[in-house]
Amino acid sequence: MSAQSSIYRWFPSLGVLVLGVGTLWAATDGFRALTEESARRLQVAESRPQVPSLLLEDMNGRILGLTHGAFADKAGEERQITLVEFIYTSCPTICQTAGSDYAQLRDRLKQSGLGDRVRLLSVSFDPEQDGPEELRGYAEAHGADGVLWNIARVGVQDLELMKRSFGLRVIPDVWGGYEHNAAMHLIDPSGRFSAVFDIDDVEGAYRALEERL
Amino acid sequence: MSEAEIKPHAGAVKFTMLLSGLVFVLMMALGLIMRAAQGEFIELDPALFYQILTAHGAGMVGVAGLSGAAIMWYFVGRYVQLSAAMYWAFLGLFLLGVVLILSAIFLGEFGGAWTFLFPLPAIAGGAWEPWAAATFILGYVSIGVGFLLYYLAIGYPVIKRYGGLARALGWHVVFAGADPADGPPPTIIAAAAVTVFNTLGTVVGAAVLVASLVHLLVPGFAVDALLAKNAIYFFGHVFINASIYMAVIAVYEIVPEYTGRPWKSSRPFIIAWSAILLFVMAVYPHHLQQDVVMPGWILVMGQVVSYLNGVPLLAVTAFSLGVYLHGSKARWDLGLSLLVLGVGGWSIGAIPAIIDGMLVVNKVMHNTQWVPGHFHIYLLLGEVAMSFGFMAWLVRKGQASEAGMSTLDKATFGTYLVGAAGFTMVFLISGALSVPRRWAVHLPGWILQDRIGTLFAALVVLSTLALVLKYAVGLGRGQRS
Amino acid sequence: MTRTLFAVLSAVLFSGCVVFRGELEADPVTHMLLQLPALALAGVLLLLATDLRFVKLPAYFANAITLVAVFAVFFWMLPRYIDASLINPFVEFAKFLTLPTLVGASLALAWRQAHPFLRGFLKANAISMLGVLGFLYIHAPLRICNSYLVSDQQRLGYGFLIAAIAVSLAWTFPLFFPSPSETGASQSKTNKVTV
Repeated sequence: MSAQSSIYRWFPSLGVLVLGVGTLWAATDGFRALTEESARRLQVAESRPQVPSLLLEDMNGRILGLTHGAFADKAGEERQITLVEFIYTSCPTICQTAGSDYAQLRDRLKQSGLGDRVRLLSVSFDPEQDGPEELRGYAEAHGADGVLWNIARVGVQDLELMKRSFGLRVIPDVWGGYEHNAAMHLIDPSGRFSAVFDIDDVEGAYRALEERL
Repeated sequence: MSEAEIKPHAGAVKFTMLLSGLVFVLMMALGLIMRAAQGEFIELDPALFYQILTAHGAGMVGVAGLSGAAIMWYFVGRYVQLSAAMYWAFLGLFLLGVVLILSAIFLGEFGGAWTFLFPLPAIAGGAWEPWAAATFILGYVSIGVGFLLYYLAIGYPVIKRYGGLARALGWHVVFAGADPADGPPPTIIAAAAVTVFNTLGTVVGAAVLVASLVHLLVPGFAVDALLAKNAIYFFGHVFINASIYMAVIAVYEIVPEYTGRPWKSSRPFIIAWSAILLFVMAVYPHHLQQDVVMPGWILVMGQVVSYLNGVPLLAVTAFSLGVYLHGSKARWDLGLSLLVLGVGGWSIGAIPAIIDGMLVVNKVMHNTQWVPGHFHIYLLLGEVAMSFGFMAWLVRKGQASEAGMSTLDKATFGTYLVGAAGFTMVFLISGALSVPRRWAVHLPGWILQDRIGTLFAALVVLSTLALVLKYAVGLGRGQRS
Repeated sequence: MTRTLFAVLSAVLFSGCVVFRGELEADPVTHMLLQLPALALAGVLLLLATDLRFVKLPAYFANAITLVAVFAVFFWMLPRYIDASLINPFVEFAKFLTLPTLVGASLALAWRQAHPFLRGFLKANAISMLGVLGFLYIHAPLRICNSYLVSDQQRLGYGFLIAAIAVSLAWTFPLFFPSPSETGASQSKTNKVTV
């Protein structure tokens, strides 16, 4: 075999290598998002989509807007930024730790004086089980005051829309509860998604809030 | 294929051995610095101490593997035609790995030790950034891929020529009653065994390395710490043992040139190597005897196998070497002396290792300098001695049978022997006195031992430098003639 | 005759994967370790039923086609697209199309003609990668697929670990005792060994 042809022998394999790595690169947003969850967060951070302005019912039976602005409660009008997480109150596991992470965040916000400019929302995706009474129970357990930190539920008719726009996936687990992707979603004053944080990333969420205020 | 057509890749191997020799000296110098710092001859920032510890550990394991691999490549190349391209790919990936590891340590300040035990690389408390740990691990991956190519390049032609690994290991002689004369040569038996266990070691190592890498890049993915430790010690144990088992091939091939008696693949020899194949893989739990969460039976197996582990080695290689040498008219030169020293040091080093392998002893001894004591015996007085023996033989003048030993050779060998023996003995004594290992700063009561150890270490570095210089000069002379 | 058998088996396997996709995809273990390999196998059988099985390729071309299969496998190892295949019909369609063709048929066509070093390298890497998946899935506090429960994910991790061990045994044994047809035993050194 001549020296020249021995170089050409590498071309098909190199071509496949380049194409293959390129495909994987494109398919994972530059190797940044290997899972659906990370892809969703990346997409939120980059395209900052508008959050639908859904109505929620809080633990005291009041109606409030998911995004800042329209239908905002009195406290909400001064509160420019909303941080949303999703729960169901009968959840024995992750929602409880999520609650304590939110409590930590609340304490830090109060200490630094940012506590009257932010709204923390825990929204139940299980409106049939979680009435105002259940929501109040959750609030009491974690010390949510209904002003800085409010517990609410979405209406049954808006549930699908909310799940879709937040990329929320809820699947029944073997104990009669649910498993769901838990995260904190930052909604900016214009009602757009601004960032998504791991449920225990109190530090990251705090720093992001501080930056935006 | 006739023997005459097959030529070992002497040039590539000689070059590799020169590299290995230089790295051995450098890594020994790092060891000397650590001992000098413990003995308070010099002052060393503890953070730097741990970086040096990491470089010394990873570097020595790596270069032991490299020199062993070069030796095996050279001698397997006497029996089958090997692919030179694969060897250069191996060497290239190895050197790329070295560059990555050194950058991780000395630019990225990674000091998490060669074991990169989960979760230390990721949670460094600010001592280094995750990228440094990731670079370190990528360096290992590169070296691992290199070794995988190396063993494919050895394994494929050996399987093809000898009709499967079972025959290459000589099982037809042991189990099917074939005449030992029809069995494969010792080099092929050793090469087949090492290829099997070190390929498995590399595959397991690659799995835990990539998993650790994913954890570093995406911290949400965690790794089971106990599973990771098992995998790391399996691969680490197998890899460092493979380096010695590859280097010992030099003894099988070179000693007969001096004694005039060929090293035969007897039945005990074949059985011993098959036992080694199993023991090397089954013995690793003796590194985890302080992990109380390990299942008891695994730890007991580790202890039992560590008793047995020494048997094939002592019975077959050391004993046969004695028999072959006894009454032969071998003329001693530097090469033969170092090779014989290598087998001796390897065998003696097994004794403190077996003691440490006992559960009751391990509980109190494993975190003392007893452990570096025993592994320095079978590396410094074992693998390293064999490598330098091979190098001395590569650049010998004339035939092995007419060799001799100059005064300079004698002085070099004597200094090396005294230095290495003294250095390792100090470690053992300190270990018996409960001096901890891996401590940057020592208590006043330990300083005297550290200082004695430092002086012996200096002798080792000096004599090793002389060995490398002699080899380099010999290579240069060979080029001219 | 054998060809018809291969064709029928391929069709049965493929339609089985399609018809029972709900059941197979309900559990990540059957999804990843049963449905995906079965789809690839359907592709292998399909190719064996045609004349393409006799095509003699130059080694460099066989290497390239083998690499196509490798990248297709990589793609379907991304949790992101496993999730997507459950909710996005286009991705689901792509899965049923590419696994038989790009993975199964490519390997049936090219694997045995690829360079032995490449085959050995890929086999060793396949074992390592199954081990990596095992490592990550058994212990991940993070949910890798939003469609599956964490407990299912852990079972899948053990599934990967068992697959790694099974595959390594299955690939190592023939190296010790190659069948006479593929040995180059010391008597005849002309034949090939599957590494």
